[in-house]
Amino acid sequence: MVGARRPLIEVRRLHRYFGPTKAVYDMSFEVYAGEVFGYIGPNGAGKTTSMRILSTLDEPTYGDAFVDGFSVVDDPDRVRRRLGFMPDYFGTYQNMNVAEYLDFFARAYGLRSYQRRAAIDYAMEFTLLETLADKPINGLSKGMKQRLSLGRTMIHDPAVLILDEPAAGLDPRARIELREMIGRLADHNKTVLVSSHILTELAEMCHRVGIIEQGRLLAVGTVQEISSRTHTRSEVRLRVLSDPAVLINYLQARSDVSSVALRAGQVMLTHDGGPEEQATLLRELIEAGFPVVEFGSKTKSLEDVFMHVTEGRVQ
Amino acid sequence: MTTVPPTTITETGAERAEAAPTRWADAWQWLERRLVALTERANPILVKETRQALKSRQFLVTFIIVLIGCWVVSFVGVAVVGPQIYYAASGPGLLIFYYAILALPLALIVPYTAFRSLAAEQEEQTYDLLSITTLGSRQIVTGKLLSATVQMLVYLCAVSPCIAFTFLLRGVDALTTAMMLAMAVLGSLMLCMMALLIGAVARAKHTQIVTSVALVLGLFGAFVGAISLGTAILTGGSVVFREPEFWVIAFGLMMVYVTTFGLLRAAAAAQIAFVSENRSTPLRRWMMAQQACFAGWVGGVLYAFSVYESLGGGPLSDVIIAGGAMASFYWYAMGAMLTGEWPHLSRRVQRSLPQSTLARALLSLMNPGPGSGYLFAVANLTTLVLAGLAALWLLDAAAGTWTPIETAACFLVLAWSYVVGFLGFGRLLINLIRRWAYVPMAAAFLLHVILLLTAIGVPTVVQMMSREYRNAGYTLLQLTNPVWTLAELWDRGMAAVEGEILILATPALAVIALLLNMRSVSTELLHHRIPVPIRVAEDEAALHPAPEARPTSPWELDDDANGTV
Repeated sequence: MVGARRPLIEVRRLHRYFGPTKAVYDMSFEVYAGEVFGYIGPNGAGKTTSMRILSTLDEPTYGDAFVDGFSVVDDPDRVRRRLGFMPDYFGTYQNMNVAEYLDFFARAYGLRSYQRRAAIDYAMEFTLLETLADKPINGLSKGMKQRLSLGRTMIHDPAVLILDEPAAGLDPRARIELREMIGRLADHNKTVLVSSHILTELAEMCHRVGIIEQGRLLAVGTVQEISSRTHTRSEVRLRVLSDPAVLINYLQARSDVSSVALRAGQVMLTHDGGPEEQATLLRELIEAGFPVVEFGSKTKSLEDVFMHVTEGRVQ
Repeated sequence: MTTVPPTTITETGAERAEAAPTRWADAWQWLERRLVALTERANPILVKETRQALKSRQFLVTFIIVLIGCWVVSFVGVAVVGPQIYYAASGPGLLIFYYAILALPLALIVPYTAFRSLAAEQEEQTYDLLSITTLGSRQIVTGKLLSATVQMLVYLCAVSPCIAFTFLLRGVDALTTAMMLAMAVLGSLMLCMMALLIGAVARAKHTQIVTSVALVLGLFGAFVGAISLGTAILTGGSVVFREPEFWVIAFGLMMVYVTTFGLLRAAAAAQIAFVSENRSTPLRRWMMAQQACFAGWVGGVLYAFSVYESLGGGPLSDVIIAGGAMASFYWYAMGAMLTGEWPHLSRRVQRSLPQSTLARALLSLMNPGPGSGYLFAVANLTTLVLAGLAALWLLDAAAGTWTPIETAACFLVLAWSYVVGFLGFGRLLINLIRRWAYVPMAAAFLLHVILLLTAIGVPTVVQMMSREYRNAGYTLLQLTNPVWTLAELWDRGMAAVEGEILILATPALAVIALLLNMRSVSTELLHHRIPVPIRVAEDEAALHPAPEARPTSPWELDDDANGTV
């Protein structure tokens, strides 16, 4: 649920160059309190670079980003108190168990005494790691490590969480668990910026998404918003009681229909237009005397939107 | 006479029996609470690395090797000494071996572990996780250093019974032993600090490999050096602890140690600090501290020479020349790094610039930036040179100086000119290259070194290749060669180097270099403090709320009570 309209993450004209490569180019967007924001893009699109800048691990070449109103360049210490970053790798310390790992990071975030113990208990309970407290972290599975990494990220109760490919390499069960955990974080009014390649999962958990390619932010909004903005063509399925060949002839004569085919007794057509234009088409079909018994358009998935918005170019 | 019923006595005894463990338990709980409170305040990296070290195989193996080494030396040593152990002074012989065993972890293993602990953070990809916590760069370096210190102390504890045993064997006094151990620990701490600095500088994998090999070689040299020094102390007769000179020299060395340690720590912290932080000013503070100590000690030595006739009263000007040479080398090296700083001041740094006119006048040289860095080095060296010239003027009447006063003065002026000139022209070169390419500090330092080597090498090669000048000794062709010029000046006096020409030409070139830099330097020095953003001010107020205004008079108290205020 989107909470108060206060941007907890604000990216303003962010640029990051590595020599001639424009890893991030003129990127601007905002993420509000309690919102889960999906960050989508092909490999090398600039997702990790921009996430690292937001996490105060890198500096922008130009522009700035703000977390809870604090510049990531000028006030990294204040940003770090409010932000938890889960990178796409798990940094392993030798000779350390789960509880000691969390204890170290709790201490590093300045938590003392009972506060620290409570934070560790909560993180372990939240990430279902209670039974693994004494297990060496080197012996953890990928899924357990991701849960531990999430526990580390939230140990100091940050308002903003940045998760870089949290579901990468996880089995289906671990993915579902992780997705549930992110959902619970949003329920706790945390702002989550999450990147993933598994678009179906992002579509389920994110309030809004940003699509990035070649360092540029191509589109921002809900899947429906982006779809309606960028995806004017839609697949429409029709069934009539009369002869479909007549309908096909009628449709082929229309300028707003680009292709028509008959499949298993249904007429499949590509229609140029959004929902309003589809309603007009249905009305005109009925007025033309076609006995329409079925009219449906395929809902655009995040994958469809992503494929439409991006061009598959890599720098 | 009063008799005490036996039951009462029994009850009292029982109470005492119960009370004693209670007191002990209370004391134990009190101690435990204190220890817990101490660990709560301990550096998180110290806690983590101590936990890791206690479980690590490397620590266990080294500890066992140290113990076995001590046992073997004890048994073999006692067997070799034989019956003489009851009357001969056999302590020093055994102490050398124990010292060598202790030097192995202290000079070699612990510093290398410190280096690896920082390098491993990069390799294991934990450094990012660490750097986004609220731990500052200084806390990270200090934590690594403290964990090395804990390991050091554990090894020291393991060897200490054996060292105490050598005291019982006679021939070694407690003060000498304590001094040797202090040297070992302080030396190890310095090596750890250097190793941490190298670990912080060498971030890339290939650099880490090269520096790792160089570090191991260096540490091995330190290990051999520690054993040699220990042997020299033990075999070279007793240390003259009663002589005041010993304590003066020890105090002087400690000042050098402390300031160098502080400088290295600040440098290591600066290397891992976030780019927008002020990484230069702490370094400059330590440089100034070193400069103050240096000036103080040179002054002290001069005073000692001038007061105590037994010291000869002669080499006053030579002390000043030696001091001037050291100061010039120091400020050239530091200036070469300072002029390589990035010229852009972050907004974070600009928020903390000095604000008042007086503070701006006094402290602007401490601001980060290559221009202020150049002026900082020049100003410090100028202060020292002026102090040296003043000392020469004051000591003019001193009898029997080995080097003429005017030669010493000429040396100081020339040394100053070379430093100012080379740093100035080097900085102009860096500025020129920065128009087209990114020049990091290491590259800037390298450019300075190349410029200096060119200025030394080219005239030397030209003169060596010339039939006319090959055997002519020093000529004015070597004007740009500070090493030959200054050495010749000190050795053979002003006439040998055509001092009248040098004293005009070299400072003139230095002043030209200084003036050419002044435009960009003044741009840097004219930076003003910028206001703190409102959000930051709000956060600061929330973190550190201002104390509530207390009533300053009884009338205000009354007003408060009446609710009128």
